[in-house]
Amino acid sequence: MSTDDLTEDLTRRTENAPQELLTRSFFFLCAVLSIVTTISIIVLLTTEAAKFFSATAPLMGVEGPTASAVDFFTGTEWIINNEQFGVLPLVSATLAITVGSAVVALPLGVATAIYLSEYASPRAQSVLKPALEVLAGVPTVVYGFFAVVYITPALRTLIPGLGTFNMLSASIVVGIMIIPMVASISEDAMSAVPDSLRQAGYGMGATKFDVSVGIVVPAALSGIFSSFILALSRAIGETMAVTVAAGSQANLINPLNPVDYLEGALPMTAAMVNLLTGDVTGGGVAYRSLFAIGLTLFFITLVMNIISDLVAQRYREES
Amino acid sequence: MTETSANGSTTRRRLLAAVGSAGVIGMAGCTQSGGGDGDGDGGDGLSGTIDIAGSSTVFPVATAMAERFESEHSGVDINIQSTGSGGGFANHFCPGRTDFNNASRPIQSEEEETCSGNGVTPVELTVATDALTVVVNNEADWVDCMTTDELARLWSAEDPPTMWSEVNADWPDQELELYGPTDASGTYDYFIESILGEEGPGHRQDYSATEQDRTIIQGVEGSEGAIGYLGFAYYSQNTDRVKAVGIDDGDGCVEPSLGTARTGEYTPLSRPLFTYPKQGSLSEDHVAEFARFWLENSTSEEIIADEVGYVPLSDDAQSEAMERLETAIENAQG
Amino acid sequence: MATESREREGFGHVSRTVGVVFRYLLLAATLFGIVALTVLLIYVANDAIQPLTADPGWHLTFFVTLVVPTVAVGGYLLRTDPASFKFGGGVVGALAVSTMFAGGAAMIFVDIVQPVTWFGYVLALAVALAGVVAMERFDRQLPFLVRSVVAGAVAVLSLWLVPGLVRSLPVYPTDGLLLTASLGTPVALLVGRYAAAAAGKRGTALAVLGGVALVGVGSYAGPLIGVDPVPATVLLSVAVLPTGGYAVGTVRRHTERRPGLAFAGVILGGAVVGAVAVDALGFTGPQSWVDWGFLTSAHSGTAADAGLYPAIGGSILLMVTVAALSFPLGVGAAVYLEEYAPDNRFTRFIGINISNLAGVPSVVYGLLGLGVFVTYLGQPTGTVLIGGATLALLILPIVIISAREALRSVPDEMRQASYGIGATRWQTIKNVVLPRAFPGILTGTILALGRAIGETAPLIMIGAPNVLFSLPTEFSSKVSAMPLQVYAWASLFASDPFYRAAVPAGVVVLLVVLLSMNSIAIVLRNKYQNDQ
Repeated sequence: MSTDDLTEDLTRRTENAPQELLTRSFFFLCAVLSIVTTISIIVLLTTEAAKFFSATAPLMGVEGPTASAVDFFTGTEWIINNEQFGVLPLVSATLAITVGSAVVALPLGVATAIYLSEYASPRAQSVLKPALEVLAGVPTVVYGFFAVVYITPALRTLIPGLGTFNMLSASIVVGIMIIPMVASISEDAMSAVPDSLRQAGYGMGATKFDVSVGIVVPAALSGIFSSFILALSRAIGETMAVTVAAGSQANLINPLNPVDYLEGALPMTAAMVNLLTGDVTGGGVAYRSLFAIGLTLFFITLVMNIISDLVAQRYREES
Repeated sequence: MTETSANGSTTRRRLLAAVGSAGVIGMAGCTQSGGGDGDGDGGDGLSGTIDIAGSSTVFPVATAMAERFESEHSGVDINIQSTGSGGGFANHFCPGRTDFNNASRPIQSEEEETCSGNGVTPVELTVATDALTVVVNNEADWVDCMTTDELARLWSAEDPPTMWSEVNADWPDQELELYGPTDASGTYDYFIESILGEEGPGHRQDYSATEQDRTIIQGVEGSEGAIGYLGFAYYSQNTDRVKAVGIDDGDGCVEPSLGTARTGEYTPLSRPLFTYPKQGSLSEDHVAEFARFWLENSTSEEIIADEVGYVPLSDDAQSEAMERLETAIENAQG
Repeated sequence: MATESREREGFGHVSRTVGVVFRYLLLAATLFGIVALTVLLIYVANDAIQPLTADPGWHLTFFVTLVVPTVAVGGYLLRTDPASFKFGGGVVGALAVSTMFAGGAAMIFVDIVQPVTWFGYVLALAVALAGVVAMERFDRQLPFLVRSVVAGAVAVLSLWLVPGLVRSLPVYPTDGLLLTASLGTPVALLVGRYAAAAAGKRGTALAVLGGVALVGVGSYAGPLIGVDPVPATVLLSVAVLPTGGYAVGTVRRHTERRPGLAFAGVILGGAVVGAVAVDALGFTGPQSWVDWGFLTSAHSGTAADAGLYPAIGGSILLMVTVAALSFPLGVGAAVYLEEYAPDNRFTRFIGINISNLAGVPSVVYGLLGLGVFVTYLGQPTGTVLIGGATLALLILPIVIISAREALRSVPDEMRQASYGIGATRWQTIKNVVLPRAFPGILTGTILALGRAIGETAPLIMIGAPNVLFSLPTEFSSKVSAMPLQVYAWASLFASDPFYRAAVPAGVVVLLVVLLSMNSIAIVLRNKYQNDQ
């Protein structure tokens, strides 16, 4: 090999060599796929949902029965047979699951995070963290089965009037399911609190309790908050556990009234599954209502995820 | 750098050598005859797939039949999906994706149009009868029979009664306790359709809704003023725990029983269940054979009544359906 | 004054009670979910396995032969030699997990891919590999495009021709030998190199040959003890060989851990002795719903006869499809975002978009699959390919996020060093970054795969059948999956017998698979973190 070759080899611009170009384009396409996915979700849900609403259906060239958007968003009756598509009972049930699981998961999750970040020894951490991950790894349909077969009968010994399918046990299992999410994100936020703050606290004569509650938690507040939103958005989108455990009757319930949790209701996600598997579905308008609910669900979770992102970004900037 | 690459290529060479030598050893060792042994694993040569979708009411009948058919013809793959009668026609059967569509009601004319637009000809076969039974507590001696109007009044969402006496003055001032299936169940829809009317006031919602028939039986058994409705077959296994009410559809009182449901006397709370094979698919032997198998067994009390909980076909209804199927098979294969 | 009183408040009565109570409250909260799940798991395992239906003598026998020695030896080792204890436990765990995977693999070779077809494809791959290796020699002389086109052509041609050629042979070796060559040999090559640590070329070759011989002999010895040649070969190649290789290789590297082998021997020996003793003494075991029949039969209307076989096979095929689709795409996206992408608005937008996609409910992904693949592309509903593609889209964001984290943990100095010796960007990624980040990427992918095979809602949405009687055999066959089957039993067949028998049994099988996947991921991650 001559020196010329060597010089050429060393000074050659490799950036756009065929191999480099090929691999870079492939990786770029992979990254762009995520945007394609998002766009397809949005386009698909909007076009299909547009065929559902009376106002937009003619634009899509759809004939046959449609539903008014006003009735959809304000109606309090979800009876597919009568073509009454009021989404409020479904939203109320979804909200009830969210509130119920929040009551279970938020305090437990934050307490877990404080314990893991402030108190637990590395050894305890190495046992507890994987165990918590298992909580999140159990399939949701299994949680639903647990709720119906074990939790509801157990609760019935305390509350005799509890229905076979009820919001209480559904909320409890969804709550258990999202504990790890709250715990791990909150713990990350707490670990990110600079040690100097803690030392300053101890220097002032504070106890460990004071430091944890008075310094670490407030400093990590935005991270904790972001974990709440993310976990709740997960609870809203949770499907199989509520399909199996919450029943299938579309009741308008009050998420803040504990008595309403004793009966079953139909959350949005469960309604979607029932629409595809139950005997009630017709081809046309009921099928398209699926996409209208899907769109509502997608936007609720999207907004929550974005808020959580923004909050999380703030705490990253702060720390 | 050079060392690792040299290492890499020697291992690769070694791999090739090993694969090769193992192959040679294999050739030299014991062998089996190869070539076209194909995939004919079914004992009688029937093979292929059958896709079934449709009503969740007929779903258990279809699975019971498929299970037995599979055990005799292992070469046939049957898969069954519960999509609802209408969803099955619209999204699966008429676009030509499935061979059978189960339905708890006859096919509608618009559905037939959509199907024929895609070149799909449905063949209507009756496979069982679904009967609802209205049950009351054994102690409720005031009622043995009620008219369909009374039944509609009891369950109507419009001005729902709270006392028995509000519906019929002869009945006592006993508080009503209502048990029924949830609105996701086919039984619930069927009750609305046959008693309350599709255009009617709708089903009242202040009742104890459950997906499980045994809960209805338990609830009615436990309270004197209770009334409920459920599938006939489940009642027939619990005749001593609750009392069935006869239904008067204008022609006098008819007690629910296998006999009255089969003959069609027990109206309006009994309905036929259907499956619709695609005529085009019947040209394939395994599909035709499965359809025949299904009809042959549709009179079996063991499968239809005991296992699934519906009313089996009468012999007449069976032979009528069989004739229809054979004509369709001839049309398809001939 | 003010300072004084504050001081008194601060230092005067510092009570430890509050702190101690708080600490235990936190611990209780941490344990709440774990304990609740454990209780539920005990309940469901009890319902599925019914240990109390066994003879007391059965329990006693196993207590004496298995539990007592294990506790004794294990307890002693744990105190004196934790490393050996870990190693021994690891060997038993590896054997258990790999046996399970061998079961899945055996299922594939018995019902889905004929051994001869598999052999054909392995041979074709080997031929293609040989072609590419030959091509590498002309690295300098040939331009990249020509090389890649020729290599691609060789690969396609051999994959297209060789399997058909092999299948059309009038006579070929028995299935056992075919699998020995095509499955046992590659495994033996990998394992042999580990087991024969620092034993030189001869030692390695001997180890590899020994492994191949073991599998080959097993394919003939299996039928003698009632195991068909195909499962016997698969079991030896996928479970016994790797576990044995791990044990031997580790002992050769760390001779001081030899007691761990004794520990593993005590456990395995105890189990075997117990089984033989129970059989000889005539004690009956528990009336478990999770039995051979449950694992190998299809759905039935009678709960006691219902089985999970098609659903297990479906889950395996779905997992393979999902892994094949999501791994390259996910890692590719992560590599682009971490290694190539300039830090601009577009890149940040992709990042935010991915984290939002990770939060989209699975049921919406189901709608996406239904709408895009079924309605717009006109694919048949509920097939392996559609199910796999939908699930792959679902876990793609998770794979990307975890792969990005793994890539980010590769120190920048390594990249700089690689650039410094003249490597291009792709060479750096291929030779430096990816190998270093690989364990982390693998961990994330396994966890994401676990999520995928636990999903039910997307499969319902794309119209996977609720009941299926045979294994899917190709990508266009309809597919069911374990969680879907459990859901069908719990909803469409909602009756007492199903709630008591089939559903708990299905849940236990599903959880065993998922928990072992999780534990593999966790073990991998711990090892990886310790290495760094």
